[in-house]
Amino acid sequence: MADSFLGVRLDILRRSQNPDGGWSYYTGKQSWLEPTFYGALVLHGDPAADRAWALIKSWQQPDGSWPPTAGAAISGWGTALCLTLAHIRGEVDGSFLKGLAYLLKTAGTESELWRRALAKIGLIDPGRNLSLKGWPWKEGTSSWVEPTAHTLIALKKAYALLPAPELTERIHSGEALLLDVRCKDGGWNYGSPWTLGEDQRSYPETTALALLGLQGRAEAASSVDLAKSWLRDTPSSMARAWITIALRLHGVAVPDTTSPAKGSGSPDLTVVALEALGAPEGNYRLLKTEKA
Amino acid sequence: MKIRRRDFFPLAGAGLLAGYAGWEGMRSRRNAPAGPSPVVVLKASSYSDDLAQRILQGVRECGLDVRDQKVLLKPNLVEFDPNTCINTDVAVVAAAYEVFKALGAAEVLIGEGPGHRRDTYSIVEMARYREISKFDDLFVDLNRDDVTAVEKFADRNEMYFPNTALRADLVVSLAKMKTHHWAGATLSMKNFFGLVPGSVYGWPKNELHHIGIPESIVELNRIFRRSFAIVDGIVGMEGNGPIQGTPKPVNVLVMGRDLPAVDATCCRIMGIDPAKIEYLRMAADGNLGNVEESHIEQRGEKISEVRTNFALIDSFRGLRLS
Repeated sequence: MADSFLGVRLDILRRSQNPDGGWSYYTGKQSWLEPTFYGALVLHGDPAADRAWALIKSWQQPDGSWPPTAGAAISGWGTALCLTLAHIRGEVDGSFLKGLAYLLKTAGTESELWRRALAKIGLIDPGRNLSLKGWPWKEGTSSWVEPTAHTLIALKKAYALLPAPELTERIHSGEALLLDVRCKDGGWNYGSPWTLGEDQRSYPETTALALLGLQGRAEAASSVDLAKSWLRDTPSSMARAWITIALRLHGVAVPDTTSPAKGSGSPDLTVVALEALGAPEGNYRLLKTEKA
Repeated sequence: MKIRRRDFFPLAGAGLLAGYAGWEGMRSRRNAPAGPSPVVVLKASSYSDDLAQRILQGVRECGLDVRDQKVLLKPNLVEFDPNTCINTDVAVVAAAYEVFKALGAAEVLIGEGPGHRRDTYSIVEMARYREISKFDDLFVDLNRDDVTAVEKFADRNEMYFPNTALRADLVVSLAKMKTHHWAGATLSMKNFFGLVPGSVYGWPKNELHHIGIPESIVELNRIFRRSFAIVDGIVGMEGNGPIQGTPKPVNVLVMGRDLPAVDATCCRIMGIDPAKIEYLRMAADGNLGNVEESHIEQRGEKISEVRTNFALIDSFRGLRLS
């Protein structure tokens, strides 16, 4: 095990955990929410994951959201990661509900009433359906694919416990938004399928994330083949890891690309964690969601 | 109280307690040069030319002294497409590294925070940056560096920036000469968008669009004022830049300490009227640098000898320099 694809990565993650329980993006730096979330998923059930959760929990802000790192007074997308992790750990408490309320009240600014009004009378051409509500990276900005996908995972997990109509509505709207911003080539980029009338190309990593957010939606099936081709062709170890996770969760058999068991070649600890998560015996199933 | 970036780390602990008010001192010193700003335009027929020699000449012509300074080279690496020329060429980055090391800089790092793609190391790999000797030891992923808040950024109370950029004595904008479908042109000043951390603001850095692209360009250049520009115009990009445009050989490197002056010169070379580029108008109005031709001391090649009109998208046809 220690020398296996997964074992090598678990070892890297264990050795690189910061004394405060979190992980940085790169060894020796401060703890950030995103790598800490993935580290905690990979090591779920291990005391290292408990230490990570204790740190993350201490970062929750008065409005229920989480910042990207300690002390950064920014409310945003990391909140979804924390709710997903809380659900996985069975820690559905007041803190969870506060975070959930934050996500339900947050939406990308493009869906604001005045923008929809301008689009309706033809003064702006947004090229997308502004009645659909997704989630921004940072409160007060527009919706994008990645934060929307992560929030869909969190809300679908929450829905299994709290099947409230507000959740259903936001989940369906968020899913529709992802489908609305799918690129012409069948995948997703960060969330802008065209600019100034020109089609934009999709990216492998964001295609994978959108597929994660769209688990259970039949409309996603047509993008799975593209993701399979990305898995073969992309030079990005991060993208390969994300696609592997997404394909496995969509029930697609993924070729064994896990040998040799060397490191990823990327010093980014998030990549190491994503590769571990997507390994055949990894914890990718923790991101499984059911249709809401 | 004036705080230099090199003082940043010793003061970091106190700064955390006192907030970030000290940074205002840096910004208040921003004024356009009293006299004309030297801008150097040098010919380079290809990336195989001796670029280090040209960059060294440009640095010397501008009177830049980097001895004992911490230098951050900031290339333009927003994303990668093998079919066009989005990025600052690796040859320019490698040559700049060589020159600043040879000139006695205490530290020369290369840093970038790509605006669209998540896997920074994959982009640097595709752009062949990892061919630079010991690149992994020199490179800082500015999207994922540790950050510190700087007080006031346009209408925002604060903005977070990578510590590596904040502690640099000199940020060298290694920009690409490109058209830009929102800003008109993207040159040395807009290149500072890559100093904004994705880990805080996302991919893309949509916060800057909500603040306003010209406003953000100007604010970034107020904060990172100790800067130098080297614009890779050996092969630029025309048309629907900065991503989907067409390669445009210009065969020049444009350099200077006054970034608005450098960008204005690049615009003139591209056949774009800098007075019609909003961020340059704002930079001039805000006394950030010189934009008028009469306030720029052109060295090296004359603009008329290297000017080649860049194709402009329909909405920017009006930018054409007469």
